[in-house]
Amino acid sequence: MLPNKAAVEGVGDAMQLAEVKGRSLWADARTRFFRNKAAVASLVMLALVAGFALFGGTIAQYENDFVDFSLIGSNAYLGVPSVDTGHYFGTDSNGRDLFARTVQGTGISLMVGVVGALVAVIVGTLYGAAAGYYGGRIDGIMMRTVDVLMSIPFMFVLILMLVIFGRSIFMLFLGIGLISWLDMARIARGQTLTIKNKEFVEVAVATGVHPIKIILRHIVPNLLGIVIVYATLLVPNMIIFESFISFLGLGVQEPATSLGALINEGSRTMQFGYHWQIAFPLFFFVVTIFAFFFVGDGLRDALDPKDR
Amino acid sequence: MLSFVFRRLAVAIPTLLILVILSFVLMYSAPGGPFNSERPLPPEVLANIEAKYGLDQPFWKQIVNYVIGVVTQFDFGPSFQYKDRSVNDVIAQGFPVTLTYGFWSFVVAVSVGVSLGVAAAIKQNTWLDYLAVGVSIGAQVLPNFVMAPILLLVFTLWLGWLPGGGWEGGQWNYLIMPVIALSTSYMASIARITRSSMLEVLNTNFIRTARAKGLPMRRVIWRHAMKPAILPVLSYLGPAFVGMITGSVIIDVFFSTGGIGQFFVNSAFNRDYSVIMGITILVGALTILFNLLVDILYAWIDPKIRY
Amino acid sequence: MSLLDIEDLRVTFATADGDVNAVNGVSFSIDKGETLAIVGESGSGKSQTAFAAMGLLAKNGRAAGVARFDGQDLLSLSQGQLNKIRSKDMAMIFQDPMTSLNPYLRVSEQMAEVLMLHQGISKSAAVTEAVRMLDAVRIPDARARVTMYPHEFSGGMRQRIMIAMSLLCQPRLLIADEPTTALDVTVQAQIMQVLSDIRNDFGTAIILITHDLGIVAGFCDRTLVMYGGQIMEEGPTHDIFASPEHPYTSGLLKAVPRLDREDATLATIAGEPPDMSSLPPGCPFSPRCGQLLDNCEAERPALQAAGDRRRACHLSVQEVA
Repeated sequence: MLPNKAAVEGVGDAMQLAEVKGRSLWADARTRFFRNKAAVASLVMLALVAGFALFGGTIAQYENDFVDFSLIGSNAYLGVPSVDTGHYFGTDSNGRDLFARTVQGTGISLMVGVVGALVAVIVGTLYGAAAGYYGGRIDGIMMRTVDVLMSIPFMFVLILMLVIFGRSIFMLFLGIGLISWLDMARIARGQTLTIKNKEFVEVAVATGVHPIKIILRHIVPNLLGIVIVYATLLVPNMIIFESFISFLGLGVQEPATSLGALINEGSRTMQFGYHWQIAFPLFFFVVTIFAFFFVGDGLRDALDPKDR
Repeated sequence: MLSFVFRRLAVAIPTLLILVILSFVLMYSAPGGPFNSERPLPPEVLANIEAKYGLDQPFWKQIVNYVIGVVTQFDFGPSFQYKDRSVNDVIAQGFPVTLTYGFWSFVVAVSVGVSLGVAAAIKQNTWLDYLAVGVSIGAQVLPNFVMAPILLLVFTLWLGWLPGGGWEGGQWNYLIMPVIALSTSYMASIARITRSSMLEVLNTNFIRTARAKGLPMRRVIWRHAMKPAILPVLSYLGPAFVGMITGSVIIDVFFSTGGIGQFFVNSAFNRDYSVIMGITILVGALTILFNLLVDILYAWIDPKIRY
Repeated sequence: MSLLDIEDLRVTFATADGDVNAVNGVSFSIDKGETLAIVGESGSGKSQTAFAAMGLLAKNGRAAGVARFDGQDLLSLSQGQLNKIRSKDMAMIFQDPMTSLNPYLRVSEQMAEVLMLHQGISKSAAVTEAVRMLDAVRIPDARARVTMYPHEFSGGMRQRIMIAMSLLCQPRLLIADEPTTALDVTVQAQIMQVLSDIRNDFGTAIILITHDLGIVAGFCDRTLVMYGGQIMEEGPTHDIFASPEHPYTSGLLKAVPRLDREDATLATIAGEPPDMSSLPPGCPFSPRCGQLLDNCEAERPALQAAGDRRRACHLSVQEVA
């Protein structure tokens, strides 16, 4: 469920090459990105989805936890999506407004995705940069640890944790964070190994700059391109991940909801013909995931232009 | 080669131990024991039960006993919820099911994914390539928990072609939807990886040499390009394996296939810690074993890796 | 009849920024057992000429014209028909020996498959023949080393392996595309010696593509100078070196460092190599030529033969400095 490592690494190589050639990499990349129609359209879609999550609440006619008792038992014909009743997306099987709930679910999924990816990228980059910079035995131990952690089926451990310590957004973040920084650490280490032999790093070392300062000032900024691409591709994976947990009923807790939880609810009632209950959350899920993937691919191709 | 295998094993065994200890510590630190959850038991009864399961012993002794039991007899202890069943019974019942559809999903994902990727790379910028790229992009947004309800909706509710759940000893019509739901997104990823690595390999100098030798394209692809093109796919197989075994939880929930995923989720809700732990460790051991196999395969294909 | 006859060859690459004309109407021929040098700086189209003849152009490349090998037009053959000629009658070795051998297959496998394919002999017989050929290019201990992987050999050794592999079927024509560029100077001399030996032993015709005039002098019967995808001058190597009849050739020769003259600085040709996507309408060399005439920039000089030499220049032979 994580982005393909090899595909991202090219970005780092391309950036270092560009630096050698003295081109203005970021300006070039921006031009290329905006020439990519799918990526630009996806960026617009993302803005719309984010707008929906942020401001959708203001046009919802109902609170997301308001139960419309008048609909109970007659969901099939009274709960259908309709402008007249104010239930734009219909209601869920408990008679709650699906529009309001989809707004909330989209918001939580986006937040989990973005925060999860940020945590993963920050931890992974710093860890990888440190391992690559120090090298030698420290590097060996740090990367062996990553190897060991990689072969642990974390989803199972996370579920175990959620069961034992109770379900909460915090546990979810912790679990997601635990899993997703590993690949980033490997990528960051690989790139650091080449960056640290560059003259500007050698000058910094020779003039006695503190290693931590070198990592933060000289190495991490040069990883920026690869970090941005990886983070963009990680967000949809985090959303899928959270949805997976929520789908099992172990994620966010009622009355809060997420797209995964809504899809789960919808999938249970679709056999009764309540297709809207799965259709709307699924639509937002698919659009969001698609858009993030296209933007991520677009960024990657913009920063590492080669035929794929 | 042999020493390479041994060195990889030397990493694998501590990894497994870390996993066992980690899950044991997690379970031990759970607030409240497994038997004082719902109805309060008389203290002497509770003490008896705890003595029976060895819960009255100090932490280090419990963990040592557990590890010894797992390592020497492959015994994961009794289930805390079902008095008449051990964790081994649960695994024996669910594991063959998971293994069956997991195996087929893996075979489908790898074989279809690799063929699609190779075909797309050879026929770059033709309709076949666009189809393959389109399918693989589309399938990225269809993880198993989205695929499963869609399949169910189409093939069971609308078309009525396939049974909506159950196992029946793994007959093909019960197997087909779980396999598709589980394999689709991995098939797509494998196709993408194969396509881009094959394109890269086909641009190398040694492929030009092979063509200059007058080898037919078929032979150039299979004999000269396949090995290097498959290496990135191999590195993806480890994560794919973990993803699939995790996804089996969804499959079991959705299609009532009765694999270990079903027991895992039930146990998670029942706080049946010993079953959760047993399954987690089993899955971890499988993952480690699988990664070991992948590493060996990688070293076997790539002569530049020194053993 | 000549072995390979190239007439008005044009190679075009379709790129995102428009078409790039790498080769613009090149004609030449080579006889059996002859050695021809194609000289030019990078981007002059010399390698693409060879790739076009071998059918090995990149996917976006198109070749037009005629390349007649043994009476057959190579450019009109299907890949399947070309495969019957490649390596069997016409072989090629490449610039970068480090990446031109498949790193995932043993040398024995890579060599044997050529013989198994073209001659249909058994694998063991093919390996025996491969070892014999490796001996011929002086790979020490060939019998033991044939089962090794390419990365276990040095760059010079790998180029010898490439040469041995290309000679397995005793082709009548060997195209060597900058065979020594990536190698050390001492190794260069060894490789040239190997090429010289095989020419003498097997009577193979060789097209040597290079930018290094130094290795041409002692090796090639005839020399062909290319610039901007066109032929500037062609003739017997000795004559070209003794009396260049084109300002570009003359500039190239002046740029070769020599020990028998005491020049303070090495002469260079001013300016940049041509941009192949927008060549000047006249002589491609005109932007860099030191002896420009009025019509050089507007009118492309035709390639004219005089005796055994050909040249494309508006200047008269006597005027070339």
